[in-house]
Amino acid sequence: MLRLAMLPDCARFVLRIAPADMAAAGQVFGLALPEAIGAVAEADGRLALKLGPDEWRLHAAESDGAEIAARFAAELGTTPHSLVDISHREIGIEVSGTAALDVLTALCPLDLAARPVGSGTRTVFDRVEAVVLRQAENQFRLEVWQSFAPFLYSLLEIVGQEVEAGL
Amino acid sequence: MTGYRVAGRGRVDPDARLRFIFDGRSYEGLHGDTLASALLANGVHFVGRSFKYHRPRGIMSAGVEEANALVGVDRGRGRYTPNTRATVLELYDGLTAESQNYWPSLRYDIGAVNDIAAPLIPAGFYYKTFKWPASFWNKVYEPVIRRSAGLGRAPTAPDADRYASRFAHCDVLIVGAGPAGLAAALTASESGARVILADENPEIGGSLLSDPAVQIDGKDAWNWLEEARATLAGRANVTLLTRTTAIGYYHQNFLGLVQRLTDHLPAAASSLPRERMWKVRAAQVVLAQGAIERPLVFDGNDRPGVMLAGAGRSFLNRYGVKVGNRVAVVTVHDSAYLAAFDLARAGAGVATIVDLRRNPRAALLAEARSLGIEVLSGWTVTATKGRARIAEIRVNPVDQNGKVGAARMIGCDALLMSGGWTPSVHLFSHSKGALDWREDLQAFVPGAPNEAVRCAGAGNGTFGLAAALAEGAAAGAATAGSAGTPTVFSVDGEAPFSGVYFRELPTDRDPTRAKAFIDFQNDVTAKDIRLAVREGFRSIEHVKRYTTNGMATDQGKTSNINGLMIAADAVGKPAPEVGLTTFRPPYTPTTFGAFVGYSRDAHFEVERKTSIDSWAEANGAVFEPVSLWRRAWYFPRSGESMHEAVARECRATRRSLGIFDASTLGKIEVVGPDAAEFMNRMYTNAWTKLAPGRCRYGLLLGEDGFIRDDGVIGRLSDERFHVTTTTGGAARVLATMEDYLQTEWPDLKVWLTSTSEQWAVIALNGPNARKVLEPLVQGIDLNGEAFPHMAVREGKICGVPTRLFRVSFTGELGFEVNVPARFGLSVWKALIEQGRPYDITPYGTETMHALRAEKGFIIVGQDTDGTVTPHDAGMSWAIGKTKPDFVGKRSLARPDMQDPKRKQLVGLLTEKPETVLEEGAQIVDGPYAAVPMPMIGHVTSSYHSETLGRSIALALIQGGHGRKGETVYVPMPGAMHKATITDTVFVDKEGAKLNV
Repeated sequence: MLRLAMLPDCARFVLRIAPADMAAAGQVFGLALPEAIGAVAEADGRLALKLGPDEWRLHAAESDGAEIAARFAAELGTTPHSLVDISHREIGIEVSGTAALDVLTALCPLDLAARPVGSGTRTVFDRVEAVVLRQAENQFRLEVWQSFAPFLYSLLEIVGQEVEAGL
Repeated sequence: MTGYRVAGRGRVDPDARLRFIFDGRSYEGLHGDTLASALLANGVHFVGRSFKYHRPRGIMSAGVEEANALVGVDRGRGRYTPNTRATVLELYDGLTAESQNYWPSLRYDIGAVNDIAAPLIPAGFYYKTFKWPASFWNKVYEPVIRRSAGLGRAPTAPDADRYASRFAHCDVLIVGAGPAGLAAALTASESGARVILADENPEIGGSLLSDPAVQIDGKDAWNWLEEARATLAGRANVTLLTRTTAIGYYHQNFLGLVQRLTDHLPAAASSLPRERMWKVRAAQVVLAQGAIERPLVFDGNDRPGVMLAGAGRSFLNRYGVKVGNRVAVVTVHDSAYLAAFDLARAGAGVATIVDLRRNPRAALLAEARSLGIEVLSGWTVTATKGRARIAEIRVNPVDQNGKVGAARMIGCDALLMSGGWTPSVHLFSHSKGALDWREDLQAFVPGAPNEAVRCAGAGNGTFGLAAALAEGAAAGAATAGSAGTPTVFSVDGEAPFSGVYFRELPTDRDPTRAKAFIDFQNDVTAKDIRLAVREGFRSIEHVKRYTTNGMATDQGKTSNINGLMIAADAVGKPAPEVGLTTFRPPYTPTTFGAFVGYSRDAHFEVERKTSIDSWAEANGAVFEPVSLWRRAWYFPRSGESMHEAVARECRATRRSLGIFDASTLGKIEVVGPDAAEFMNRMYTNAWTKLAPGRCRYGLLLGEDGFIRDDGVIGRLSDERFHVTTTTGGAARVLATMEDYLQTEWPDLKVWLTSTSEQWAVIALNGPNARKVLEPLVQGIDLNGEAFPHMAVREGKICGVPTRLFRVSFTGELGFEVNVPARFGLSVWKALIEQGRPYDITPYGTETMHALRAEKGFIIVGQDTDGTVTPHDAGMSWAIGKTKPDFVGKRSLARPDMQDPKRKQLVGLLTEKPETVLEEGAQIVDGPYAAVPMPMIGHVTSSYHSETLGRSIALALIQGGHGRKGETVYVPMPGAMHKATITDTVFVDKEGAKLNV
């Protein structure tokens, strides 16, 4: 079984900050930032995924976006960092169901099966760059640039048909 | 049941009868047959003509090594496949196939004259014969050779099938599900390791499928096989892939597997893919590819009815088909006796076994005697007879000294041959593993590996069922580390398996007249190899190319070793010194579709659309591709030509108001305390003094000093820049910046984030641009003094956040409204609504290009070509002269970069105002210079200017900056056009329209 769905909009930021200053950033965001690359922290509707040595992806409710940006500017103004709003750059696609892993693996050169629940990474599906979060054993969230999303979505549907046909 | 079907034998289903058509004739076969077994069951051996001599050919094998029985399969329009091996083509109801390489018919083929003329067509014939006259090559020789070359006809209709692809990861990938591969899989999967077991056949089993009598662990082979299959199928950690060929073994245990999904089905649902390419990354690989039987080399060894002994056994035991009613055998190896015995027991009437060896095993001789088979040991086969099917063999005794005695003729309707077995080392060789020569086997076997790979069974030179099972189990256990314990298998009823090697079989006739084939698919004979060596070719790689031995689609699976041994003999060196030709992927011919996968039609490439694209489509836009984007090109009204539409759009924009979707512009947010310093180093311009809220045109060079990209850059705060790039350059510019930041200046505290798709960008241009914005914008003073040209403000429009740029790519009063992308469409619609009183006109990329050309604004990649400096482009003003450095600065100081004769960007006005020059047209000084005329430049941009009512052009001309007012000529098809060099700005030279 495969379920594909476009996810509701949310606030998204790319946060770049020296690892030494991550605790302060976590306080401003209201969620301790994960330390290991690929790790995800999640609480109270906020999510933080560490993608690189000094790079985090932050998610929050759409309505909280402006306030988060303002707080970073006000409270972290003297600490070198970059917070960039990418809420509209991306679209979230949920891929879930018993076939989810098979379908995603078909298009992704990474070994997704080996990635634990509660982790995420930047990778490619077919030729589309995406961030993939494994939220449950059979539930994944893809974050894709909006203009690439229709291509990827339809490809997921095609692979889904194959998997469901038992091929 | 037909005359050659043996009841109770084989794995075919006698109740599942299938009709199929071969060469227009209808036949019956059974479910489980291949086309080859079904044809043989109908007594059909003659299935094709050979490539070069058009000799009648039959079925020589029962597997992928088949070099003769290549057929075209027609599955309907767009589904024709030539050169399919009949021996692996699964039969389905309604299958339609045809033989190849004949005209007008298989039986009466005119090309067969080549066979009679064979002495005139030696190895290297084409190289020798068609050398002169040189002018004949293109017009005569090559077309004729091309027509007669190649086997089968290439399909011309687009492939109607769909193809799939899939990545996969596993701990152990096992290639080959014969005894060794199965033993490896059973052992390796015990530990819970992720195992993929792939086999090219429709079912697992390998050699066991042809050897039902042998016993493993006290069970008949096929019962054991079924249990093994059930065990593996029941393990969740095992992926069993049948009909799946490992085609290539690449770096770091990356293998390509092609799985045939629906070809074996009579009418597959068209939505299902035909094949799937598996791209597997395996921690460990076990290769258990088995071995391929070698043909023997004697005159007439290619006659229909002559086949490999193991194939004869497979057809009987696996498909329930006897290959003849009077079978003869010629061998140098024990294994051929097994075929003879099985056939004799099935009532096939085995007349004679000709064994080149003087002393075959006593046990084999005794069994032959008990079955009434005559064994001629120490005899040879010197010829075959029969038209379209073997009818007789000529056999002679060979004495102790090798002298060949008097001939005797033996009647037969099939001849099984065995020259021993060659381990299949193809994939191991792909992985650059070393091959070792085994003198006892007269074969290459895997040596030191180059990857995490183990080989097992016959493919490793380990022959015999018990040995193969043990080696497979050991390999499987080793992949599981110390945890693995090899499963132990007991085997009963295993037959002896030894032999010797012969090159050309001894003959009493002139060996130079023998048609003793080595490469059946490319029609290479033993004497061709010897001729090549006589003519000076010493390396096997050269012999191969000169004779084409092993160069057909079978890649020499049955011919490489025979070719090598004969070449080695002719050279007078041991085989390993002459070498083995390189194995290359794919292992067997692979469809293009399998490589293409999903990448066709709508998924050939991503087509990116902006958030405003749907409005453009609904309003009749004509689109053009710009990098991966589709962009509105122009918006024709009903009845308008492109020229008329663009002219109208230009007029409207200059006179009142145009609106343009500029969302595809690349955008990069550069943030951090060192942002200005980073910008200083990347771009030619000076950024330190640019005040927040102001914009500047930025020019980006490569290290070589040539223009790479450009765009307007806004400074939002001391530490934050909003950089725009060209549409096509977005990804490249970001990558370049990251490269410099990470490798050259890691000390800078600045970070880059792509925001290309965060922002929808709506460009408003025209004298009324401000008026349409005023009622919709909140929090920004639009007054010309408060918000001057080249400034940026943050505020709201239609209630959503905006970064509003006052910039212009048209020369008119212009704004670029940036809003978060999902608001783009609603803001666009609001602007359209608000603009109605001003006859707001949507325009596309063509109008944008024409308007910017009127102002002399360059387009990177159109007016520049990677060899244009800022000075060449007339943009020295964009260089921060006092800056200590920027990317490309040193190169600009090279003398050549300052040469006044460099090609420089200028304007061109044609003598006739209606002449629109061709972009790319060359420019010359005068119309009467000698041909070839020196070309002094070329046209880069050329348009009809609606504003001026005449044509305009931009051009790169040698020393152009100093030649304004001079006349040049532009030769174009049909005419030589006269033009005057001008300034690049054609409209509003003072820029008065901008500052309002």
